Amino acid sequence: MLTNDSPGPERPGKFLARRSDRIFGAIMIAIALFYIWSASQTQVSFLSDPVGSKTFPYIVGAVSILCALIFILRPDPDPPWPRLATSAKIAFAVVVLIGFAVSLEPLGFIIPAAVASSLISYQISPKPFNAMAAGVGLSVVLFAIFRYALGLGLAPFGRALVG
Amino acid sequence: MAILIPLAFSFGLDATQALVLMTSVYYGAMYGGRISSILLNIPGDEPALMTTLDGYPMAKQGRAADALVLSGVASFVGALLATIGLMLMAPILAKVAYLFGPPEYFALYLLAFCTLGGVSAKNQAKAAIASMIGLGIAMIGLDNQTGMPRLTFGDLHLMDGIDFLVAIVGLFAVTEIFVFIESHGKESAIGVKLGKIKVPFKDIAHSFFAMLRSTVIGFVAGVLPGAGASLGSFLAYMSEKSIARDKDTFGTGNPRGVAAPEAGNNAAAGGALVPMLTLGVPGSGTTAVLLALLLTLNITPGPLLFDERPEVVWGLIAALLIANFVLLIMNVPLVRLFVKILSVPAWLLLPGITMISFAGIYSLSGSSFDLLLMTAFGLLGYFMRKLDVPTVPIILGILLGKNMEDSLRRAMVISDGDWTYLFSSGISIGLWIAAVAGFIAPMFLRNLLRKPTRPQS
Amino acid sequence: MNLKIFRGFAVAAVVSVGAAGSAAAAECIAPANPGGGWDFTCRTIGKIMHDIGVVDQPIQVTNMAGGGGGLAFSHVVTKRDDDPELIVAASSATATRLAQNAYGGLTADQVRFLGAIGVDPGVIAVAADSPHMSLNDLLDAVVADPASVTFAGGSAVGGFDHLKVLMALNRAGLTDIRTVKYIGVDGGADAITQTIGGHTQAMTGDISEVVGFLKAGEIRVLAVFADERVPGFEDIPTAREQGIDVVAGNWRGLYVPKGISDEDYMKWSNALQAVADSDAWAEAMAARGLAPFNKVGDDFQNYVNAVVAEIEQMSREIGVIQ
Repeated sequence: MLTNDSPGPERPGKFLARRSDRIFGAIMIAIALFYIWSASQTQVSFLSDPVGSKTFPYIVGAVSILCALIFILRPDPDPPWPRLATSAKIAFAVVVLIGFAVSLEPLGFIIPAAVASSLISYQISPKPFNAMAAGVGLSVVLFAIFRYALGLGLAPFGRALVG
Repeated sequence: MAILIPLAFSFGLDATQALVLMTSVYYGAMYGGRISSILLNIPGDEPALMTTLDGYPMAKQGRAADALVLSGVASFVGALLATIGLMLMAPILAKVAYLFGPPEYFALYLLAFCTLGGVSAKNQAKAAIASMIGLGIAMIGLDNQTGMPRLTFGDLHLMDGIDFLVAIVGLFAVTEIFVFIESHGKESAIGVKLGKIKVPFKDIAHSFFAMLRSTVIGFVAGVLPGAGASLGSFLAYMSEKSIARDKDTFGTGNPRGVAAPEAGNNAAAGGALVPMLTLGVPGSGTTAVLLALLLTLNITPGPLLFDERPEVVWGLIAALLIANFVLLIMNVPLVRLFVKILSVPAWLLLPGITMISFAGIYSLSGSSFDLLLMTAFGLLGYFMRKLDVPTVPIILGILLGKNMEDSLRRAMVISDGDWTYLFSSGISIGLWIAAVAGFIAPMFLRNLLRKPTRPQS
Repeated sequence: MNLKIFRGFAVAAVVSVGAAGSAAAAECIAPANPGGGWDFTCRTIGKIMHDIGVVDQPIQVTNMAGGGGGLAFSHVVTKRDDDPELIVAASSATATRLAQNAYGGLTADQVRFLGAIGVDPGVIAVAADSPHMSLNDLLDAVVADPASVTFAGGSAVGGFDHLKVLMALNRAGLTDIRTVKYIGVDGGADAITQTIGGHTQAMTGDISEVVGFLKAGEIRVLAVFADERVPGFEDIPTAREQGIDVVAGNWRGLYVPKGISDEDYMKWSNALQAVADSDAWAEAMAARGLAPFNKVGDDFQNYVNAVVAEIEQMSREIGVIQ
């Protein structure tokens, strides 16, 4: 993740100013090239139509590259990027969400939800008691609503716990 | 989404009761999708997407209640006129759907994408790349014309493509968490001091004609089975913006930018019932569920429904009218309740939204794959927000991309690759002219005119 | 989204919590979004099973869309292989995809097919003002000039709706099926709309999809792909009567995991048979335009095996798969 500890107004003359858009443009070109390559691997049925399965993805890739070149040649000013500590917090939140996503199936809803919402709550406002209360309260109340009022198919505790 | 849920319950009711319940929920959902758009910048459903553009800025200015009341009135106008349109003209309107073949649909989608340049006032290339990201995502999955998987990397999860709900929830709800952590809530409407709640007569009067124009656009888009409510609200917003004198204030909290898409999407919801009832063609995911309900109640929609089961049709229309008035009357008192959401402390509200998003998506697909994807969309949305790339075109690309491609390819199958077929009817020529003259040409003209003075960044 | 769920909650609360199942309820997976045929199968059969009392708890319906049913199939094979409380909706589309190896290498023998209790016979229809008066008229026109007719159907290229047309044309003497023009649209009703609008010349679909338009006189059904004329639609000739020997119907049925005990399998097949014999099912079939079709248990398993083999051979013969 990019960091720029002096988020003030852009300093003209500095060589690397406006680099955010340039990096974005470069990444988009890489993705677009990969996309075009993946599209070229599409299995083509011999029962194909005049336009075919590859034309549209090719157009999408080509136009993306064109736009990305515009970002590289005429970038907008850099946005203020967060400090390292804040970036780390965001990265941590991403990790928490990923952990929640993969644990939902083996562990069920209640425990992962309690842990994940406590941690996110703590990232937003570092008060341990509030965070814990939010976690436990949300997981139990929301589970009750989802399962018993809305009839959604959520498991309270997963197969890994109950067997 | 909410509309799926009561389906489980409606089996205990008789046909008319179940139908009345379902249609009320259908209108209620259309009516309610705007609420979280305005308060939290999270669209409650895909047609409410456009309402975030001006509704959320209004909330940040402390005018959440005004935006809610105004959008409620706009929804009422759109839905009421559409219901009347449905009542008076449904059998005739059904014939309109016959006029739209692949070339006409292609031109319609093209028109929608041409208007996208206007979403971002500053940098059209960023709006363009955002729609390309959306279109690129839409291509993933089984290719309808060949039945072969495309860009799926052999993964079964990707075979049916990426659900736009996953993208919407990721790009809006999950992104909001990251933005909130970074800005410590300075860029959020949560905790903003609210003004006194009153009916904003001035805004309503100012945007009244915008509502009427948007109703017409939305209704027509709704009647076409391939277009639906999202396109209705989108075209309503974009055309209102393009004829407005104060274009620049769209996107910063212009009340007309709230009224137009809401009138448009509610009118489209009413319009979408036309092909659903008279042809049995569902125009959207929600009408597909209504259609399923009708079928399980042993009512088969089709050209004869109005003659054979008048009690069903008129019961439904009566329910829609009543639901509409009830929703309008509930509007003001409920606004008081809804704006209270903004006083829930962020440390409770944001984790709550996260959990609801995750559980909701998980219960739809039952796979953690969609949840990971949603987190990735959240991160993408964060970077796009930083770089000032609009997210609306991504969603529009995902929603309409495949349809656009399919209609072009179908047209080419029919015509054996003859491109002139795309311009073979008055409707398609008209749509092409609207796309080019109305949106592409002005974009270049504007750039030419601006060149000398080089707008400040 | 959150507010909508709460709105749904409010509505649900008003209707009272009648159907919210508790812990041990059986589950029916509809491998598609709500609104399609599989969803109908799960919801209708599940509801009738509970109404007539062959299961104690209401059956919970889960929608698991993905890969044209492939995601649910692999979910059952890899994760739920011994779950006795699970049934999954299936149809001819399931068999077609298995035959064409569209489920990523999974095969029909990795689950147990339970039974099918209704069939939606295939049809070919044209607009009421079409010059083609009989199936042979239409097929001969295609054989003479394939570019003159575009077919519209609800499935993708190579899918069941497309195969029906290709099989019929094959019987009528067309050799190069690549010249046949077919577009896959969003469902049968959409295919009819395109055909009435004159954008395409013929539609291929199931009889249930054409009922309303047929009664309204907007289309002419040239043939039904059934053994004999369908009750209630006696004026529609079968393809076989017109010398085109194709029988193709979209059956509605269920499969269960492979690893369950024979007792559990018997329990479910008895339950399904009870649904088939109920008045409620007869009513639902009549409303949906389904024709009687009743194969439950091992009988059905053999039938599916035969169908899969047949479609595989047919697909290979006409070149949909290599």
